[in-house]
Amino acid sequence: MTEIQPLVEMRGVHKNYGTLQVLSGIDLEMWPGDRLVVIGPSGGGKSTLLRIMMGLEDIRRGEIDLLGKRYITGHEQSGKTRIDSTLRKQVGMVFQHYTLFPHLTIISNLTLAAIKTRGMPKPAALDKGMQLLKRLGLESKAQSYPSQLSGGQKQRVAIARALMLDPRLMLFDEVTSALDPELVAEVEAVMLELAEQQMPMMLVTHDMWFAKNIASRVIFCAGGVVVEDGPPEQVLGDPVNPRTREFIERVFHIKT
Amino acid sequence: MTIDFSFLARYQDALLMGLGMTLRLTLIAFALGIVWGFVLALLRNSSIAPVRWIAAVYVEFFRGTPVLIQIFWIFYCMPIFLGTDLSNFTAAVLCLTLYGGAIMSETFRAGMKSIGREQYDACHALGLSPWTRATRIVLPQATLRSVPVLLSNGIGIFKESSLVSAIGMMELMFIGTTISNRTGRPVEVFTAVALIYFVVAFPLTRLVTWLEKRILKRFAI
Repeated sequence: MTEIQPLVEMRGVHKNYGTLQVLSGIDLEMWPGDRLVVIGPSGGGKSTLLRIMMGLEDIRRGEIDLLGKRYITGHEQSGKTRIDSTLRKQVGMVFQHYTLFPHLTIISNLTLAAIKTRGMPKPAALDKGMQLLKRLGLESKAQSYPSQLSGGQKQRVAIARALMLDPRLMLFDEVTSALDPELVAEVEAVMLELAEQQMPMMLVTHDMWFAKNIASRVIFCAGGVVVEDGPPEQVLGDPVNPRTREFIERVFHIKT
Repeated sequence: MTIDFSFLARYQDALLMGLGMTLRLTLIAFALGIVWGFVLALLRNSSIAPVRWIAAVYVEFFRGTPVLIQIFWIFYCMPIFLGTDLSNFTAAVLCLTLYGGAIMSETFRAGMKSIGREQYDACHALGLSPWTRATRIVLPQATLRSVPVLLSNGIGIFKESSLVSAIGMMELMFIGTTISNRTGRPVEVFTAVALIYFVVAFPLTRLVTWLEKRILKRFAI
């Protein structure tokens, strides 16, 4: 039997914005095929955790391995954060506000990075982009501009744009929070499809019902640490920690 | 005193010639000013602090002093330092370019600044190099956003160009002043000259509004 190595391993990750301590020692292992949903009160560092994984934020202290190799190291003395840019290419991210490039057509939004950063020939990139759009039922929008799409369509394009680069780990940062309620389902459906294909992902969401559906594991983050970590039935259904219990009760109460 | 515009028909050719010169000055200074303004905007975002400072002082100086003084300074004073005379055409173009560049560098800068942090995050997440980010994402968006304001700046240069009549450039304002002096009828002459400026500028200001809406709708930026 070959030994399975963790996809992600975080050890003692500390992050602060000035004097505000956002993460105070995150230890976390993520295994291949894990679909990790991060829940918790706002200001608890959920989005920061994802932004750090994407290499968008410095960390004060701690280290993160990806695919068994050192990805991010925080050096407290020098105040510098080392990020391995080759490993960073293995990570894809989708943001709350789509962040498509408004001056480019949908297909160009998809192909730009593949052509410019992966050296993919243009015809191959176009081909791959069209296939992805077809899969998402958006091939008729290839020549449209982002402003001509609905929020749900934009977010699906944003997912496709990340998938163009064949990431080994996908990060979804509150990707349905900015959407009108009737547009949420189409985006969640795409993510569920990715989940079926065993795409490892880390998500931040406020939608507990979706969390229950998609997660293979849920962690509850509060006060900059992981308070509870377990399968969705446990963390969402029967949390052990009183803080988690209080949060879950409040959130589900509002929902019903 | 009676108001009668009919005598102006005799000066039609002269006025048209003046307008031609005004447009020529405006277009040259506008084109050169866009290039210079863009360079200035880049200099003001330079990673080298002294470069930023010098560019900032330049821009603030040209924005903070009357254009008329700038014209006099370039036409009368600069030749003393250069040791060679400038023709009034060269001085006029130079001044309007230096002034227009300062104004338009602010337009470009605002355009670059208005690109949200999220766009940079997206570039980062996609692994785009700084060069690709600058040329494919930031520049096109900044330019698109700047187009309507740049046109407004161009209209500004068109109007400011009347000041170069002070160094004897035979443009619209100079011709108007000459006709007024000769005929002693400033009311009709300056009203007509104002109308000519307006007839050119008004469609352009409409165009700016139309472009703004169109760019906003098409690109939502």
